[in-house]
Amino acid sequence: MPEVADIEQLPVSQARAGEPAAWDALFRRYQLPLYVYVFELVRDEQTGLDIVQETFIAAARHIGGLREDGKFGSWLFGIAHQKVIQRWRKRTEILFDEIPELPDEFEEAPDDLLIRREQEAEFMNLVEQLPPPHRSVLLLHFVEDFSLEEIARITETQLGTVKSRLHYAKKTLRKLVEEKNENPA
Amino acid sequence: MKTPREILLARHQAKTPKLDAIRRSVVIELNNQETKEQSFPAVFVTSLLGCSNKLWLELVWPCRRIWTGLAAVWVVLVIVNVSQRDGSQVHLAKSSSPAAMTMTFRDQQKILNELFADRSLPAEAVRPRIFSPKPRTETMRLLTA
Repeated sequence: MPEVADIEQLPVSQARAGEPAAWDALFRRYQLPLYVYVFELVRDEQTGLDIVQETFIAAARHIGGLREDGKFGSWLFGIAHQKVIQRWRKRTEILFDEIPELPDEFEEAPDDLLIRREQEAEFMNLVEQLPPPHRSVLLLHFVEDFSLEEIARITETQLGTVKSRLHYAKKTLRKLVEEKNENPA
Repeated sequence: MKTPREILLARHQAKTPKLDAIRRSVVIELNNQETKEQSFPAVFVTSLLGCSNKLWLELVWPCRRIWTGLAAVWVVLVIVNVSQRDGSQVHLAKSSSPAAMTMTFRDQQKILNELFADRSLPAEAVRPRIFSPKPRTETMRLLTA
């Protein structure tokens, strides 16, 4: 299983120069996290795979638009995020900004959320229950451990919005996990 | 105990072969593009499309309301113009009956004949009198007579 890679090790400059082997390495590194993120938002396997493919093609085509090599990961997820939103707009009119934001009362919660094996399915169900904007932020945080600034850039939202969404998502998740623990039936 | 990341990735691990296939196809396509030299028309069309797309995104789309307003004004102007022109044409068509046309034609013919008539033979033309100056005394005599 790929670990959250050290971004300095990624062959972004070689990919920029058009080396197929470098692209292969980059795509290999991000294919599964990207698919996880996309799938958990669109909830359809084929759509998820299509978006991953479109994202790869768009990345190869527009690599010139990437300013810093170190931000390749968040840039790639940003492309995928835009494609997810395009799909949503085509299907249903779900808009990220339609969901009211919570007041900006964010406190840095420790990332000590560990889940027992028997709770894994429940955890996934709980993630699915979150509203899409909060789910998106939480997935970016969990899957790639992106910083709040990076998540804001990927989702094209304000930093305060990301903070409140992540806070809300974690709080909801924690609350639901605790409720499940209290009432295991 | 697992972290959320581990759970999420493990849940979709089975999709890796499909993702591998997608990755390979994209990389092969990239490789082909690298080796294949694009023809000039293709490059031209691509750049033209890119340019028009950029123009649309940067010039038109941000001020789409203004452009729409301008377009609406132009449409109104064209409609007004066309409607006025149609009215005048109808008016002309109504006024030009065959009799009137014949009269007009005759008048024009007459004018043309007058204009291009042979001026070498001014039969009825009044010949201008040639003024020949006379002494003043004669003039005075004439007056007193």
